[in-house]
Amino acid sequence: MSNIEIIGAWISVLFTLSILSYLYKDNPFYKSAEHIFVGVSAGYWASTFFWTQVYPNLFGRLWPASQMNSSDSFLLTLWYFPYHVIRNLTTLFGLAKNDIFPVTGIESGFEEISFSYLIPFFLGMFMLMRLIKKLSWLARWAIAYTVGMAAGLRFYGFLSSDIVEQIRGSTIDLSVGPIEIINSLILIFGTLTGLLYFFFSRKDTGLISKFSKIGIYFLMISFGASFGFAVMGRISLLIGRFNSLIEYNGKEYYYSSLWILVFMIVTLAYWGFKNNDKHEPAN
Amino acid sequence: MELIKNIFINIGTINRRWIFLIVGLSVLLPLLFPIKIPIQPTLHSQQVYNALKNLEPNSNILLSFEYGPSTKPEIHPMAIGVLRLLFKNEHNVYAMALWPDGLFMSQDAFKQVAKDEFNKKYGVDYVNLGFKPGNEAVVKGVASDIRKLYTVDSQGTLVKDIEMMKDIQNINDFDFVFSFSAGYPGSKEWLQFATDPHNIPLSTGCTSIQVTEILPYVENEQILGVLAGMPGAAEFENLIGETGSATGLMAAQSFAHIIIILFIILGNLTYYFTRKKGRKY
Repeated sequence: MSNIEIIGAWISVLFTLSILSYLYKDNPFYKSAEHIFVGVSAGYWASTFFWTQVYPNLFGRLWPASQMNSSDSFLLTLWYFPYHVIRNLTTLFGLAKNDIFPVTGIESGFEEISFSYLIPFFLGMFMLMRLIKKLSWLARWAIAYTVGMAAGLRFYGFLSSDIVEQIRGSTIDLSVGPIEIINSLILIFGTLTGLLYFFFSRKDTGLISKFSKIGIYFLMISFGASFGFAVMGRISLLIGRFNSLIEYNGKEYYYSSLWILVFMIVTLAYWGFKNNDKHEPAN
Repeated sequence: MELIKNIFINIGTINRRWIFLIVGLSVLLPLLFPIKIPIQPTLHSQQVYNALKNLEPNSNILLSFEYGPSTKPEIHPMAIGVLRLLFKNEHNVYAMALWPDGLFMSQDAFKQVAKDEFNKKYGVDYVNLGFKPGNEAVVKGVASDIRKLYTVDSQGTLVKDIEMMKDIQNINDFDFVFSFSAGYPGSKEWLQFATDPHNIPLSTGCTSIQVTEILPYVENEQILGVLAGMPGAAEFENLIGETGSATGLMAAQSFAHIIIILFIILGNLTYYFTRKKGRKY
């Protein structure tokens, strides 16, 4: 067992128990773990996004290594000029050693320069303009593109797989047995009464009211099933954490779970005691 | 009768921390003192097993890892089980991730199954393309042209230099897609943007919380079966004839469920009596 693995196990136990300590009450252990988690997640996402998407797919297409020295054309030299500016800025004009923007260009498997990728490049720059008050309006263009693209893309997916296919799936196949036909009828009845509950164009009285009430029962059954599965999922997560705590309490990890648990109980007891003192009215 | 009523009303006033403690113990004790409980595969797990088992030998299977450490206990045993079955049946396995953590999960699974258990060769028997951000746009990219999306694999090797990738251009070159999904993006995005439009069979192993969202597609045969949370993983282990980690954890899951059911019944009875008492006075 390497030292890094042991340290990792101790950190993992500390954070797990810190988060679980919220069940007792809000406390500094929980607050610290929560803030560190949010910070680490944001940093991790930013770094991953840059190295897996922005760097190879954007910079790699705009300034590919293959074109860097392939020609002595003036236009190509001009094209690679901003790249050299970025490289100089990130290396502090050659003072720092830097492999992010290598002198040979970016090698990510692209042979040709994709000029169309200037559009996402500029949209990305516009997004960053939010940080400058006078130019923050430019960010709206990038957001409008993202929202429009996502809406269009998702609309296509939902229309095909959720609406058309699901309607097709709920049709009654009369060639199957009576049990299956009854099952299909219940499914259609449940769907229609459930939809009727969300029908607000007419006053909820008479027949519509009666059917929409039946719809509520179908919805409640659906929510009950969702709740049951949600409980199952949460318990699975708890099992996973407890399993790790048991594993890390082994001799090879120097009983990390036990030591950290004792440390936290003592600290929380002291913290609770001090906190009670503060809230006592002055005589 | 009055005494019973008062007991229930008093139960309703106990500190919630006792409930947390009892639920915690119901999970912890079966983990410390393991008990073996019988596992019967459900129809949905059986469907997944049949779909994978009936694939022609040497099929191209795309596995997508959309989960992270937080959902590892539920989904990782499924990934291990599915990989064992695929390598046992000599299929070509292609992996990718829609979640950044999914890459590490896939590396973990391949190390355990492909390297240590089956001694499979990277680039010949399996390939890991790694993570790409972009959610459904990535799925759509895989559906139309995987080469445009992935130029290098997870190890930085150029995709054009990988033997297994020579005949792979888009989703139509895969015989089956399996999504290990813990949320968005996941199985639903694979269905909507790749497998449904291109008519490629898809199965999924997902977290319990997603199951009700996935079931309408399973019932409509848009998805071939679903491994539902940790029980689904345990059932799949049972089907492939191996006792994995999910099977060992099922006792804890079952005990916790019994305790929660009891608490729900108690809570409702307490609520009923409290409400009745409130009306009376």
